[in-house]
Amino acid sequence: MDGSREQSTTVRTGAQWLLQALEAEGCEVMFGYPGGAVMPIYDALVDSPIKHILVRHEQGAALAADGYARASGKVGVCLATSGPGATNLLTGIANAFLDSVPMIAITGQVQTNVMGTDAFQEVDMFGMSLPVVKHSYIVRHAEDVYATVREAFAIARSGRPGPVLIDLPKDVAIASAAARQPRFKSAAATGSEPEALMQARALIAGSERPLLYVGGGVSMANAEASLRSLMRSTGLPAVWTLKGVGAVDPDAPFSLGMLGMHGNPAANHAVQECDLLIVAGARFDDRATGKLDTFAPKAKVLHLDIDAAEIGKLRRADVSLSGKLSEQLPALAQPLSISAWQQRCREMKAQYAERYDAPGDGVYAPALLKQLSEAGGNRLIVASDVGQHQMWVAQHWRVSRTAAHLSSGGLGTMGFGLPAAIGAQLAKPDACVICVSGDGSIMMNIQELATLKRYGIPVKIVLLDNSCLGMVRQWQELFFAERYSEVDLSDNPDFAVLARAFGIPAFTVERRDEVPGAIERLLNEPGPLLCHVKIDPRANVWPLVPPGKSNGQMMGCAA
Amino acid sequence: MSRCFEIDLDHSEGALLRVLGTVERRGFALIEMSAEKPDAESYSVRLQVDGERDPQVLCRQLERLVDVRAVRLLPLPPEEPPPPGFKATWL
Repeated sequence: MDGSREQSTTVRTGAQWLLQALEAEGCEVMFGYPGGAVMPIYDALVDSPIKHILVRHEQGAALAADGYARASGKVGVCLATSGPGATNLLTGIANAFLDSVPMIAITGQVQTNVMGTDAFQEVDMFGMSLPVVKHSYIVRHAEDVYATVREAFAIARSGRPGPVLIDLPKDVAIASAAARQPRFKSAAATGSEPEALMQARALIAGSERPLLYVGGGVSMANAEASLRSLMRSTGLPAVWTLKGVGAVDPDAPFSLGMLGMHGNPAANHAVQECDLLIVAGARFDDRATGKLDTFAPKAKVLHLDIDAAEIGKLRRADVSLSGKLSEQLPALAQPLSISAWQQRCREMKAQYAERYDAPGDGVYAPALLKQLSEAGGNRLIVASDVGQHQMWVAQHWRVSRTAAHLSSGGLGTMGFGLPAAIGAQLAKPDACVICVSGDGSIMMNIQELATLKRYGIPVKIVLLDNSCLGMVRQWQELFFAERYSEVDLSDNPDFAVLARAFGIPAFTVERRDEVPGAIERLLNEPGPLLCHVKIDPRANVWPLVPPGKSNGQMMGCAA
Repeated sequence: MSRCFEIDLDHSEGALLRVLGTVERRGFALIEMSAEKPDAESYSVRLQVDGERDPQVLCRQLERLVDVRAVRLLPLPPEEPPPPGFKATWL
């Protein structure tokens, strides 16, 4: 409903106004878990057309809302009660904050007259969440609920998106009132100065070895088409971050791969050799740059970002444009004479092409991921968990668009994969959503198998099981003299049996010759399915830039 | 290096907490603060902070807070140190 006329005369409870506002914002699905302080909301929900997904842990609600938002481009919504329900949301809220994902997190709160008295299930969620939200509210009057929710959505999706918390005391949810009108703040002007644009174009024109460094901001700005058009018209080579995976056409001749700690050597060498770094929606994250003062040592920097606070935060920009990438990128197009640089990039791309001819009969995870993604094509959405398998997905999964690659980039949240896949599947019911997880990560939110079963959500899980915490084990092997400490998971449960206990069909793969059949099942069976893949515990992710080293000092690649 | 900021804020719940939290989380130490309330809808805060990072970046990090109306980075303070203590005239 529009509501603008009705709300001035209609009286509803705070809980009803909350749901009215969610409807007005186009919310169709929300993820949550009931409890004492949100009982009025759950009561009102009985009469709401909004589909509520009952997760089995509040962290799953926040991460599912995150996955929903990433896959759909809409604002994800999650709901939890006060106290432990609210604190369980925090990891998911922080995850959304660090990856700039639009989210509304609604938490119940104790009644206003006992707030500040250490009441049952009272925590200061407003205070606890301050560092990890774009904005937050405590709604203290029922008349403010509708407007606050509308204003929160506007904030969550505007500019650089992010999570907004709404803390709603129980008595406010129960009280009845007419609703006030929302007051939307006018968005800050984002247009770049014409002079800066001229300087940017001149920097590019004067460069012999320009390179695009593409981050997650490109997809958040819906600027993938603009980026690809710019690359086609100029022949600019490009590298990308973990969150930028999919923004660049993987078949483009000068797409060099992911940069950084587990980046492609061609990408890292190109960064070290370039004389102009065109930073599009990226933020010089330490996993991308390695040792910062040796990163792109010969390059001037042209930094494009919707968030002016990212300009100069970690690397001084010679020229910056703070505005919409979808408008800025096309304005940079111009004929370039960089054929020698293009040839150099072409040679590096060929030299460092991935190889999949690993010896032995065991399952080689990179090859499995490549084959599965190629067989599934553009209908696939992959939600990765965190660890070695996350890097293998980023390196080897064929991704055609950023919204088809969901990964916890900034926070690195183990347990992200399964709930994010649930959110993505609900956002895109026709997509084939695959969760790639590990035996460590899957156990962080294993309870969400029950959510898959309850709603028949047809997420396919590829569980790469190396019986250890692989990434930590790899670092202990390489940087801690093989002193393995608390990484052994050889007493894992039988994951196929575990999945079946939740009512999810499952099967186990141990040999390479079983992979084609497994891919066939994953892509063609209806309903949820878990494919338990046993892999070599000694497998490492290569290449690797050691911590604190320059990106030019990669291990595990032919120089 | 010590720098002074003047910040105009909405008078909304948590606005000051957000500003102070941003200052400290971004690597600056609060040296002195004063605040006044020019009208019912807003208040103005003057902060002196110390840190090695670029104050212009902190300025932009404060500007992006939803409750913040304006941020002014003042010229370097005079040689004479400000009087110690906390002054919050609107409390």
